[in-house]
Amino acid sequence: MSTGNLKDIVVNVENLEVTFDEKKIIRNVSFNVRRGEIIGFFGISGAGKTTIIRVLTCQISKKNWTGNVNVTNLSPGSKKNYAKILSNIGYVPQLEELNLYYDLTPLKNVEVFASCYGMKKKEAKNIAMELFSILDIPEDTWNKPLKKMSGGEKKRVSMAIGLIHKPDILFLDEPTTGVDAAKRYDVLSYLKKLNRRLGTTMFLITHDMEAALIVDRAAILRDGKLLEFDSNSNLITSLPNNGLVARFSIENLNEEKINIIKRFPNAPNIKTIRVGNETLEVLMDDFEKNLSKLIQFMMENGLKINAMSRDVAAFRRYFQLRIQEEEEKERLIRIQQDAIEEVEI
Amino acid sequence: MYLSGLVKKEFGRIKSDKRTLVLIFAIPIILIVIFGLTSGGGPTAYFNAAIITRDKELCNCYNSTDGYDDIFIEVVDDDCEAWGLFDDFESEDDDDYDKIFDKCVELLRDEIIDVFIILPDDFSERITNDNDTEIIYYIDGSDKQAKDAVEVALQEPIGKFRLEIGKTVNFTTMTPYLEYEVPFWESQVLNYAFATIASMLILGLLMNLTSLSIVSEKPLPRMLLTPTAKDEIILSKLIANTIIMILQVTEIFIMSAIFGLYCLGSLFELYLVLLMTGFCGICMGLFISAISKTEQVANQLYMMFFIIVIMFSGAFINIESLPLAMQIIINSLPLSHSIPLIVSITMKGLPIDYAHLASLALISTTFAVMAYIAFRFKKVEV
Repeated sequence: MSTGNLKDIVVNVENLEVTFDEKKIIRNVSFNVRRGEIIGFFGISGAGKTTIIRVLTCQISKKNWTGNVNVTNLSPGSKKNYAKILSNIGYVPQLEELNLYYDLTPLKNVEVFASCYGMKKKEAKNIAMELFSILDIPEDTWNKPLKKMSGGEKKRVSMAIGLIHKPDILFLDEPTTGVDAAKRYDVLSYLKKLNRRLGTTMFLITHDMEAALIVDRAAILRDGKLLEFDSNSNLITSLPNNGLVARFSIENLNEEKINIIKRFPNAPNIKTIRVGNETLEVLMDDFEKNLSKLIQFMMENGLKINAMSRDVAAFRRYFQLRIQEEEEKERLIRIQQDAIEEVEI
Repeated sequence: MYLSGLVKKEFGRIKSDKRTLVLIFAIPIILIVIFGLTSGGGPTAYFNAAIITRDKELCNCYNSTDGYDDIFIEVVDDDCEAWGLFDDFESEDDDDYDKIFDKCVELLRDEIIDVFIILPDDFSERITNDNDTEIIYYIDGSDKQAKDAVEVALQEPIGKFRLEIGKTVNFTTMTPYLEYEVPFWESQVLNYAFATIASMLILGLLMNLTSLSIVSEKPLPRMLLTPTAKDEIILSKLIANTIIMILQVTEIFIMSAIFGLYCLGSLFELYLVLLMTGFCGICMGLFISAISKTEQVANQLYMMFFIIVIMFSGAFINIESLPLAMQIIINSLPLSHSIPLIVSITMKGLPIDYAHLASLALISTTFAVMAYIAFRFKKVEV
């Protein structure tokens, strides 16, 4: 993990552990974030993404967590630092209704939230106008009640509110949730645009693997553990054969057929991901050399291949594989533990 | 620094919510007109009386030691279900009568008695001679319904007295002067209903306005991810709603004056009492909002609180007839203080009763502190 220049580090987390009611939610998590980076926190529900962000945003009392955490060089462990940290960060919740007063206009909303940071009305208005322009919010809507705006416009106003006080770090909770497929890319490109223009460090908490397109580094979490924290390209090239995948369309694909492929003798490190009803992706070492042998092996074992293509794995595949790998590890540990218990009995 | 922005935000929210504005400013006008034209005070089912007897004669046919006046007093004291005797006074001469009369007026004003009855000096003589006689009674005219009810209720001691003496003598009941009555040229119905209706309106509407102010504000948890403190948020709500309340109370005050508000006492003191009642409503509403998890719970709690406050306001149930523990509970509710305060100022012209006013202030403060504590410990997460 790259530590970067110490001056540039805006978030530093060392050995973070979060416990609620004696249940460990976050286990020994460490990472740091450099100024201007976009970080993606990926994980399935209950992985601990939001809990880490809640620690960073002073929402969890110090009695529930241990470790060394610094946000803009201030520890959220001390209540004295809360106001300063909260001045340095912005937050965009998943649902716009949690960030906006729908009865008020975008400019009035800006005024309300800017006043929470002690900003002057004129200063806030100027920043808002700049942000609204970057986010392509039509000028004729600035003085209309938010409830009359479209979902996408509300989302962009919500982002602008998060940035109104020019924070060092912006936390975005599921920024693409509830947005239709086509607009998801718009939201992501607006975030990238804001990041480039303002240099704001961004934390994206998301289920949406497409968000990996704009992140500088991705964190993968599972059961409170940080499995990976690296750039998208580094993660993919760490896959067998730099993430080269063979995509097979196999007739009547089922678990039994997948297990046959997993037994391919020439590539013991073979990895498979089912990506559709009859579609399977395969990653393996010595891809070029082994591919024809794998096809032959599959045919010899009675698998009917309808189509085949090759591609480079996307982050989504990396994520699936990494989670699968972790689940497999845990399964083996459980088997071992059960065996030990049986012997003891 | 942050407070003014938050207060403006509260105004913005209220202003943009047309339904709330109607609720706050239009409903009072409608209700003042409707209630003012149709209702009176709460029913009185029991009368505490004092009797002044001027009767000099003894009854020579029924009991050699007592006069008929003593029998009447005994009947009121022992036999009547709707009547209780506070005391009876025998006047020796006119000077004595004047003193007793003044004392009874004072008892009436202080609401120690509901009515005082005067038996004339020829009471026993007339009954002995089977002549018709008269009973004069004075009642607290500020209680419109009691005024009507006492005329009917007076038939009970008269009937029982007739049975006791075995005579069918006729009685003429006379009310030469009603203490604290609304003059005939003023709006009778509005003024008799004013204390109850105005205080219920102000308290109810403001409780309703504020009972959703915390629980329905969805961006509130997000706002707590700014340097704004919870104290500032609840204070901004208190300030904004208090300003709205002042406007609403002023509107009710002016509208009532236009519709013929009759006030013997200080208008400023009346205005002060209405403001205190409104402030109580705000504090109670904030408390409801702070302890409620959802808008539905807040609505239910509001209804529950409001019904309790109305039920035990003293307008429907005679507080003094309830057990002591119940009286303590009732006295911790705002309307049991604001209604008597308004009645005493408007109809009796009395100066403000600081004990009642202090009680209102104490109730408001208690609810405000409880709201603050509840909000401090309320779990608000984005």
